[in-house]
Amino acid sequence: MLKVALSGLRTNKVRLALTSLAIVIGVAFVSGSFVFTDTINARFDALLGDISAGTDVYVRAADPEFGNDFGQIILSMPEEVFDTVSEVEGVAEAEAVIDGFAQLIGNDGVPIGGQGPPTLGTSWMLSRTLNPLQIREGNGRAPNAPGEVAMDVGTARVNAFTLGDDVVIQATGPAKTFRLVGLASFGEEDNLAGATLLAFEFAEAQRVLDLDGRITSIAIAATPAVSPEDLADRIRPVVPEGVIAITVGESNAQTSEQIADALGFLTIGLLAFATVAVFVGAFIITNTFRIIVAQRTRELALLRAIGATGGQVTRMVVAEAFVIAVISSILGLIGGIVLALSLQALLRFANAGFPEGPLTVLPRTAVIGLAVGIVVTVVSALLPARKAASIPPIAAMTAVLSAPTRKSLTMRAAWGVAITAIGVVSLAAGLLAPVSNAIWFVAIGALVVFVGISVLAPLAAGPITSVLGWPLPRLFGVPGDLASQNTRRQPRRTASTASALMIGVALVVFVAIFGASVKSSVGAALADVFPADLTITSTNFTAGVSPAFTDQLRAAPEIGDVTPLGFTQIRVDEEVVSATSVEPDSVNRVIALGASDTDLAAMADRNGLLVNREDAEYEQWLGRTFDVEFPNGASAPATVVGTFEASADGFGRFLMTRDRYLTGIETEVDSLVSANVAVGVTLDEARTAVEELAAPFPNLQVQTTSEILATAEAQINGLLTIFSALLALAIIIAVLGITNTLALSIIERTREIGLLRAVGMARRQVRRMIRWEAVLIAVFGAILGMIAGIGLGWAVVTALADEGLGTFSIPFGQLLVYIVIAAVAGVIAAIYPARKAARMNILEAISYE
Amino acid sequence: MTAIAVRVADAVKTYGKGDAAVIALRGVTAEFAAARFTAIMGPSGSGKSTLLHCLAGLDSLDSGTVHLGDTELGSLSDKDLTILRREQVGFVFQAFNLVPTLNAEDNILLPLAIAGTRPDDDWYHTVVNAVGLGDRLTHRPSELSGGQQQRVAAARALVTRPKIVFADEPSGNLDSKSGGELLTFMRHAVDEFGQTIIMVTHDPFSASHADRVVFLDDGHIVDEIHDPEAEDILDKMKSLGD
Repeated sequence: MLKVALSGLRTNKVRLALTSLAIVIGVAFVSGSFVFTDTINARFDALLGDISAGTDVYVRAADPEFGNDFGQIILSMPEEVFDTVSEVEGVAEAEAVIDGFAQLIGNDGVPIGGQGPPTLGTSWMLSRTLNPLQIREGNGRAPNAPGEVAMDVGTARVNAFTLGDDVVIQATGPAKTFRLVGLASFGEEDNLAGATLLAFEFAEAQRVLDLDGRITSIAIAATPAVSPEDLADRIRPVVPEGVIAITVGESNAQTSEQIADALGFLTIGLLAFATVAVFVGAFIITNTFRIIVAQRTRELALLRAIGATGGQVTRMVVAEAFVIAVISSILGLIGGIVLALSLQALLRFANAGFPEGPLTVLPRTAVIGLAVGIVVTVVSALLPARKAASIPPIAAMTAVLSAPTRKSLTMRAAWGVAITAIGVVSLAAGLLAPVSNAIWFVAIGALVVFVGISVLAPLAAGPITSVLGWPLPRLFGVPGDLASQNTRRQPRRTASTASALMIGVALVVFVAIFGASVKSSVGAALADVFPADLTITSTNFTAGVSPAFTDQLRAAPEIGDVTPLGFTQIRVDEEVVSATSVEPDSVNRVIALGASDTDLAAMADRNGLLVNREDAEYEQWLGRTFDVEFPNGASAPATVVGTFEASADGFGRFLMTRDRYLTGIETEVDSLVSANVAVGVTLDEARTAVEELAAPFPNLQVQTTSEILATAEAQINGLLTIFSALLALAIIIAVLGITNTLALSIIERTREIGLLRAVGMARRQVRRMIRWEAVLIAVFGAILGMIAGIGLGWAVVTALADEGLGTFSIPFGQLLVYIVIAAVAGVIAAIYPARKAARMNILEAISYE
Repeated sequence: MTAIAVRVADAVKTYGKGDAAVIALRGVTAEFAAARFTAIMGPSGSGKSTLLHCLAGLDSLDSGTVHLGDTELGSLSDKDLTILRREQVGFVFQAFNLVPTLNAEDNILLPLAIAGTRPDDDWYHTVVNAVGLGDRLTHRPSELSGGQQQRVAAARALVTRPKIVFADEPSGNLDSKSGGELLTFMRHAVDEFGQTIIMVTHDPFSASHADRVVFLDDGHIVDEIHDPEAEDILDKMKSLGD
């Protein structure tokens, strides 16, 4: 029987190729995601090992509970720790390091980087053994005097800085000019993941980073007699609390993990799209096998007539699926490697500074890729394969082919409604019930709803295509009429072809609706909280807004009230939470944080805290007194004296006074400053004045509220574009599905098309007939997708209304565009089948077997 | 002397190449009179279907000429051939004659609809009455018997008033009663409407409805009989060793 299955495959290469493509794309995305992230992780590991080769132990001022992946909260320790540590038995060499953040300013006065990768500022290490950086021949020398700086080779190249240039750098105070004396590399690499690196002579680094008398870490090489672990153990007892000693192995492992975490969202994103691609592919595979079985009814019946059992016929079809699955999955793995290479090329093109090297293809990647491809294909082919077993032997003798089977519509409706209901329940559970892993309930619920709709779709295929196809006979005569009729010949085939498109369209529509809602709600929340005329933020989060600037701002005659805000993390009750500092006497005059003047006065008087009413258990905090601990170790008791409530996110659980905040940070900066325009001054005048004051601080950005909204919207739009672009892939797969279905349908209708040609239909008319059939299927799919997408959007937006998600609105203009795109996609999908049909040899078409 | 509807001269047609080459027509020359019913007969592989396809413009000759009226088919483009088939030629095939999604009436009117022209109502009713379908015009092909389907196909072949109708084993899949009805209808079309019909068949009873039977063997015209009886044809076929 396997022989028969294989000969079936060989005889229809187009069918094989088109079916494979859906699997290939799905598997390529799955394996490409793994290869890409594994490769990056492996290369960073190699790089970390390389640049830390001479180091055995690090001593750091660190509290692992605070801070985010890139450690933007700077922690330091007194210089004296270095003397203590260097005297420990077994230390061969040790050097103190200052690590912080410094912003490089371009020649056009615009800060360079800082939006994603960090802007590192560090002290140049003198020990060749311990220094992770090196300066290659011809790249200048190390900075060894105040006013000198070294920069990483990559940043210098991208921004066209050369040795001897004067470069403007800003750390905590106003910007200053430095002389570029050296270009540094990280081992073989010119740049580290897109970060900008600036290195100063040690004492200069302390000044620039505002860390006089302090250091952030110590790099240590052990004597040959002592292991890194033993040395770390010896150091731990002698360092003060809040300072840790870890081996280079542990440190690199932590960094690796941070990198893997940072890349995690990318892996999850790619895998999510891979899931969608595979899911859409499953529809196409099912449909293809359904058509194959229908077309081979006679052949399969003949096998049954000469004694094959139903089970053997089923196994034969499954075997065919298996062979396709294996070939396509292997192609998919190769595709995944190509995809990973392309992503890498893209990153290189974007100067993202990921280390170069060979691709990492783990056995796990191949196993998962093959398993996904094979399981999905075989399972998708199972239903049509079982149907093949039910073909009676007598079908071999009868001439009637492809008569539409009229199965119980009630059963189908019942199943469809039941499956859709299960999906809706899962969705509702994820959205409304307090389940853990809510996102899984939502995602699986959505997929199940898609399956349910696809089960129901054949019932809708007839009526909807009748309505959509109504104008066609009137516009295009017989080809139009036949196109419309043909979509209703096999409602199930039309429906499942359209369902594949439905999924992509539904997700795109959902993203559009969700995005519009998020935009309106974020906009409304920001506008509520920041009614102030002007807000000054730092393009570089860590540099912040210097108090020197804020003082000048207060003194400016064009400006009325001014209030600074600081965002930080604190530890209360052994839990690290976000908190915001305000200036109690000015905050209510400038921004709206929903705190009463009385509460603010109480907070100022008692140096207390206000708790966020958005917090579910805020009442239990009221009146309590506890220690508030900052990342730098500063700790003082505070009492919760009142409440606040901000409609925008990001203010955390507590408000505190600015005085308390300043005790907790290493460098005295605020996160942002909001200001009102003085009476009688226009916004433009005030803005010009503020921009003049900000000139010495290139990291500062002066924005009106509407500009803040525009920035937020632009960020959301950027995300939406990326999502939509990736979802477009699902639509492309679905378009392949339409091509596949039509190509197979045409083989089935060979005689009919031959007849039409014989009685005088021109090739152009044949093409038109196929094209409009494709357009009808595509538009039907798009309509199903819109219904599903709008439903999903409505459910999510309504359920999350409490979370501050805005009003549900349907972007009709956008939907219309999607319909047009779907129609165009139909035209494109029809190109190949239409040409094939038009070129059909009439004689072959009408000749008898 | 009646007018000539189709003229074929020195027709040669070979399929395949080298050792596998099959010579279907080895220089056929013939004329087919207008308003006459001609049958082409011959054993399997005699080239009779190939000749029909070439006369109808469905296939092209390697050498030689076919004139349909004054038009030489070999010089026509695919587009011109399509228009010629639509306007001047009718077809009745052995099976799969009808578009399953269209009802009987739409199938009959299909060539006109493809061309975007309106039927001549009188002629349409004449044809439909002659074919005797009456109340079954709104039925789909799957709701019609085999004989009814072939009669719908014949009506479709006539509705454009073509210069010539080509029929390829039109009764091949029918029982003898239905087949007889179809052939009677075709005979009627020739006698009453002056239709020209060329039919390929291997059934002597079918051929006996024709005015003239042309015998083909091994790519040559070997004989012909005018106003034949079934027995004459049968004898002739036996002599050709079918």
